[in-house]
Amino acid sequence: MGQTTKESETIVRWKKTKPTTRRNRWWLIVMPLYLFTIFFVALPMVYLLVLSFLTRARTWGVVNEFTLDNYIRIAKPVYLNTFKESFQMAVITTAGTLLIGYPFGYFMARMSARTKSLMMLLVVIPFWTSALMRMYGWIIIFRSNGLLDKLLMGMGLTDSPQKLLYSYPAVLVGMIYSLLPFMILSIYSSTDKMDWSLVEAARDLGATRGKAFFTITMKLTLPGILSGIVLVFIPSMGLFFIADILGGGKIMLVGNLIQNQLQNGRDWPFAAALSVVLMIFTSVMIWIYRRVTGVRELEGLL
Amino acid sequence: MRKTKGFFAVLMAMALVVVSLSGCKGSGGESEKKEKGDPGELNIYTWAEYVPQDVIDRFESETGIRVNYTNFEANEEMLAKLETSEGGEYDIIIASDYIIKIAAEEGLVKELDKEKIPNFKNIDPVFQNFFYDPENKLTVPYGPGIPLLVYDPSVVTCEITGYDSLWDASLKDNLALMDSERVVMGMTLKTMGESFNTEDLDVIRAAGNKLMELAPNVRVLSQNQTQDYLLSGEVSAAFLFTSQVVLALSQNPELEVVYPKEGLGFGVDAAFIPSKAPNSDNAHAFLNFILDGEMGAQIAQQTYYLCPNQASYEFLDEEFKKSLIISTDDVPNGEFIQDVGPEATSLHEEFWTEFKAALD
Repeated sequence: MGQTTKESETIVRWKKTKPTTRRNRWWLIVMPLYLFTIFFVALPMVYLLVLSFLTRARTWGVVNEFTLDNYIRIAKPVYLNTFKESFQMAVITTAGTLLIGYPFGYFMARMSARTKSLMMLLVVIPFWTSALMRMYGWIIIFRSNGLLDKLLMGMGLTDSPQKLLYSYPAVLVGMIYSLLPFMILSIYSSTDKMDWSLVEAARDLGATRGKAFFTITMKLTLPGILSGIVLVFIPSMGLFFIADILGGGKIMLVGNLIQNQLQNGRDWPFAAALSVVLMIFTSVMIWIYRRVTGVRELEGLL
Repeated sequence: MRKTKGFFAVLMAMALVVVSLSGCKGSGGESEKKEKGDPGELNIYTWAEYVPQDVIDRFESETGIRVNYTNFEANEEMLAKLETSEGGEYDIIIASDYIIKIAAEEGLVKELDKEKIPNFKNIDPVFQNFFYDPENKLTVPYGPGIPLLVYDPSVVTCEITGYDSLWDASLKDNLALMDSERVVMGMTLKTMGESFNTEDLDVIRAAGNKLMELAPNVRVLSQNQTQDYLLSGEVSAAFLFTSQVVLALSQNPELEVVYPKEGLGFGVDAAFIPSKAPNSDNAHAFLNFILDGEMGAQIAQQTYYLCPNQASYEFLDEEFKKSLIISTDDVPNGEFIQDVGPEATSLHEEFWTEFKAALD
């Protein structure tokens, strides 16, 4: 009995030998991807995790001494508050981009092929300029006696120069502006792939436009919404330069806190601990979202 | 065909490994390539545009040395890079006092060979013997400055005499301060008659609580080009670096400058040679070059800091001399912001985070 199975195994193995060696060469092509992931994704993460348990040196650098202090410090009300504020900012930003991005992506997908590619170009064009430059553009619009201020005064809504810049709303506008394309593109790609005959069927069976949209279109574009949310929510917790430029250094998000700890504070382990907590936090948020909506796959991401 | 594919894949994989492993090694072997007669290179590492282009051009044409200029955003970024290169890679670094002290303690600063810098005697002794280089063995002062309060008298209704005046309710939403916890906390400490560098945690706590009351007055926190906020009318009072004070006054002479009654701050950006500088001789030549009287004047007139070069005074434009509102007599009264222990630093950080949350 044992003999036969072994024999058959060898036969099977022998039979498979040729194709597998052939396929074996393919891993060489995939190897750069693996190496990339190991060197630029996995190793830095491990480094970050290890660093977050070490102690800062008195003046400069890190001492190899295990401690949990960095994580305990995060529990202080000051830092928890920073997480709360960032979370709030990220939620409003995500909601804002979804509100503008969904109709945008939806109608874009329903256009003719030519207009579609034109729209796509228009959405992508801002990426040709550095994000930093575009933020300075917003300063010109928002500053006292700037474009928006003059417009408001011209329309008679205000009678003196306003302090629009360096405020929470200014940062919010900057966030929504810079992250909107990610939402539009995710919504667009899932709407574009949708089978419209399903909507037609629903309409034929007597569903109103609204009902057809909410029961069919919305459900089918959920993966797009999810990937849009992932692409917007995660960066908006950490985009420190927008808060710095449009918030006048007055708004501290987790990203700003991490940057500050790395530079002025010179406390790398604490910065690493903050990053680890931030990563866990965002992952949990995404997990909760997936559980609530039941969406398994991410449009265009997986 | 299949063979070529496999070969190609191996090649790509190898290229990636090579790139990812050797990415950080750059100009290591350049000094070895130096041939006779070739004066070689000089790698300067400092903030963007801190060394005027015409000074670099003149140095290149006089010596034939090719200058590579790399810039950093923050002192800490500089030290992190210097540490990774173990004191090599760069020949001249210009950075702030406190970070030079740390770099020196880490053994990353080379002792200067003063025989190669005959112009070393030109340095105004007022700008020497500081905490980061008590025996003047390591550094050449480049940009010393005293930050001051500047306000627009046509808008400000209260009397500003010192840091304490900034708490006045009439300045609501009208202040520009530096985006630096040690500077702003330091100002607060001064109003309480304390040193910038106190390590007494209770005093720091008291200052932190007082700082929270300043929040309604702060319009913007900024390190760079802060004078623009004052000039555009975005704020009516600001705490500015020396260069920013000079620039603000040159564009609006009506602005008032205040020497805070509680005491002055002081800082020096100085040049040093890293311990393993690949072109140490060229670095010494450069230091000697910028300590020349005429060059010193050119630098001071373009960086708008105090001129630490005695020999430069006769070369300064009359116009520029008039704009020098800070006299070197004030220097001994200024206090440096120095490193404080980890507990004090963490406490400063904590209050700073809380302060920012209190701003809108």
